[in-house]
Amino acid sequence: MPNVTIHPTGEVIYLEPEETVLSGLYKAGYAYTIGCRRGGCAICKVDCRAGTFTYNRPIADTVITAEERTDGTCLSCRAVPDGDITIEMRDGNVRLVNPFLRQINDKARQRAEALARAQADMAGATTKE
Amino acid sequence: MGVMRLGYAHVRVTDMAEAKDHYANTMGLYETLSDVSPEGANRTFYKAWDEWDHHSVVLEEGGVGLVKYGWKVQYESDIDDIERKAQTFGVTVERMSKGENPEIGDGIRFTTPSDHVFEVYHDATLIGTEVGTHNPDAFPRHLVGVGVPALDHSLITAEDPGMMDRFLTEVFDFYATERVQTSLDDDADIIATWMTSNNQIHQLAVLAGPQGKLHHFAFRLGDWTEVGRAADLFSMDDVPIDVGPTRHGITRGQTVYFFDPSGNRNEVFAGGYLAYPDRPVSVWTPEKLGKGVFYHARELNDAFTSVLT
Ligand code: FES
Ligand SMILES: [Fe+2]
Repeated sequence: MPNVTIHPTGEVIYLEPEETVLSGLYKAGYAYTIGCRRGGCAICKVDCRAGTFTYNRPIADTVITAEERTDGTCLSCRAVPDGDITIEMRDGNVRLVNPFLRQINDKARQRAEALARAQADMAGATTKE
Repeated sequence: MGVMRLGYAHVRVTDMAEAKDHYANTMGLYETLSDVSPEGANRTFYKAWDEWDHHSVVLEEGGVGLVKYGWKVQYESDIDDIERKAQTFGVTVERMSKGENPEIGDGIRFTTPSDHVFEVYHDATLIGTEVGTHNPDAFPRHLVGVGVPALDHSLITAEDPGMMDRFLTEVFDFYATERVQTSLDDDADIIATWMTSNNQIHQLAVLAGPQGKLHHFAFRLGDWTEVGRAADLFSMDDVPIDVGPTRHGITRGQTVYFFDPSGNRNEVFAGGYLAYPDRPVSVWTPEKLGKGVFYHARELNDAFTSVLT
């Protein structure tokens, strides 16, 4: 019954009655970052830009805060649209799967930049002489 | 000997009816008690078939994630010993009395540096198993679903896993069997640690991440075949599988990660080698962490470090 429109690409996905946003999108062949599919891990949040939805189970306050209940945050694995809705995905195409390597890379870059700065300073000091 | 094992995992579930269906009918735990907590929450207590104490899993309705863990010590005096060591570490310890947890005796309670609540106790009501202790058969004939024999271990997250490594070493007399470190240098940071008090490959593992969170708690299985059969049952019961069946490079255990109906991650875990305190610690570095966690895919999925309750 309800249609889910994905902003900004404009794809429209048709959902069966009582179907959650997550289930509808996956059944339509889409994939995005999800975890437990059971409302516990908070990873599947999208933004609802138009229309309303209802959660089909109680959602823990640790998963959706009081503020998020009114700011358009939509926990997609438990959200059933009341009618047509428009959503915007939160995750981009880049998927970070090993943050520890990322941290090490960050530090390496900072070290290299610091070294380059130090060398530039030394070169500056030499030319002044 | 101090801490013998992870005695119980007490977790929150959003819907008790769905949770009971999962833990009783899919996992095959035995319900030993259902009650209402002093705060008014529905609770259900379970034990697995090869466990003799009153319970090893407690479900409490309302929210998700961990309430607390119970650690069972061998001697009454171990409680005082751990209390002293925790205080020396700088942790505030409170006494808990018999009956605060149904069928659990006197003990202590404290919040770890990782913001998880631990209880330490010596007495639990002995229920025994169906096969008994007199000329026992190999297993109960009418197991339900996966029919797990026991709770095995848990993985939690903490902002400073190195601190938790020290805490568990100094307070629980645990030792690390494997670690993930930023490098092989002496001053490397600990990203994750697998710790135990005995020959079990790990009783508690700690991974870098937010404070106070649950990554998973695991049930023991015998071998690959049982792990594969568990995964089949998860498909039959529409249990969301996170990863597996596969092997962990770390611990060498065979595994399926999956989610309960509230989104708490569970695991079934088989194998793992025998741990000894004098065995040199296996060290993994971040570029091989994918292989360390999922030995066959050799890549972390995006849920591994971010999906927690
Ligand atoms: S996938 Fe875990 S809360 Fe939706
Ligand atoms: Fe595990």
